[in-house]
Amino acid sequence: MRALWQVRPSYYSRTLWALLLTLDLLPWPWGEDILARLFVARAFLRTARLRQALRWAACQPRPRWRLALALCAYQGRLVAQASMLGRRGPDELRRFVLVRGGEHLPAPGRPTIVLGFHLGAKGSDVALKLAGHSFIRLGGPRVSRSWLNEAWRRFQSTGQIVVPIDDTKFLSSALYEARRRLLDGGTLFTLGDGHGRPAFQLDLPGGPLPIRSGWLALRRHTGAIVVPVLSHMEGRLQVVTVHPPLPPVDSDSARDLQACRAALGQLMQEYVRRFPEQCPSLVYWHPDPGVPSGEPTTQALRSDERAV
Amino acid sequence: MSDDAVLRRVDTIVARVAGPARLPRDPTPETPLGEGGYWLDSVDLLEVIVACEQEFGMTFDTNDDLSEKSLSTVRTLTDTITRKTR
Repeated sequence: MRALWQVRPSYYSRTLWALLLTLDLLPWPWGEDILARLFVARAFLRTARLRQALRWAACQPRPRWRLALALCAYQGRLVAQASMLGRRGPDELRRFVLVRGGEHLPAPGRPTIVLGFHLGAKGSDVALKLAGHSFIRLGGPRVSRSWLNEAWRRFQSTGQIVVPIDDTKFLSSALYEARRRLLDGGTLFTLGDGHGRPAFQLDLPGGPLPIRSGWLALRRHTGAIVVPVLSHMEGRLQVVTVHPPLPPVDSDSARDLQACRAALGQLMQEYVRRFPEQCPSLVYWHPDPGVPSGEPTTQALRSDERAV
Repeated sequence: MSDDAVLRRVDTIVARVAGPARLPRDPTPETPLGEGGYWLDSVDLLEVIVACEQEFGMTFDTNDDLSEKSLSTVRTLTDTITRKTR
């Protein structure tokens, strides 16, 4: 327990981390359900968050209060998912995962980027792996009691390029390593939104979604096929939808960017329209425009996962 | 190729990736590539690394060659390249 306390990710407050460690003792999905309710209760204590949710909900064609509260609850669920709360091992989760559109994933041997998003349900990569797909994950370290247990450690033991999210130089060597793996015909899973220099913004109903540039650089340098995946919850079932690949790389970089933006914009708009309550990242993420390199601060991007 | 020639070519690559807006007023080989110097972020550094790979016909080893130290300045990157190509 002490060891877990000491590895608290900086974007979690002490209170939230203590709560997560406690709720993790309960069987899945009890902790997740409790956390969802606590996040609704928190919204009434920290009204600024509730006001943000209400403002956002007002832009959606749904009853405002119901959507705002569902959004707060989903934020709690999202934090629980990210921490794998109560999830003892891969085997018990397998039947709660469904992959749609798997036929869009190219055959192994072709450089492929499977592009997930913070938007929506967490852990598309875990769900895809549970469904039998294999790839190298490029992403931040995972810290939780579940990730430290033997079953999950075995599950994620191969095929990871772990990136300390605050270390620019390490990030660049991780990107270089990812490029090498892609050039060898590998399949890479990474997230397209969130931390990192924004390449462009998608204007979605109620808020912008910054799309980062690392995966675009990898795509340009390797000619990899990029397959976007979005994930949503249907009750307890996590549904991962694999979408058709983005257009191939265009030698005109402006046109190329525009093509990616249009394709992703269409997917995201449809997602927000269908599952607005599952989009807390749109409400609570605010990249800091004052950072000289254009890299949003980690704190800003992780604000949806911070203090209870 | 002399160390100075490598240094000049690396310098040109870094300046190209940084672009005129981020070019420091008086850049030296000791100017940081990142914060307080050229302000290159991780994607920019990837561009620099790939450009150097093509320019010098070499590949980098992720663990040994691309440490925090070697990606600190034009000079440290040049040192890595000369060590690899010698």
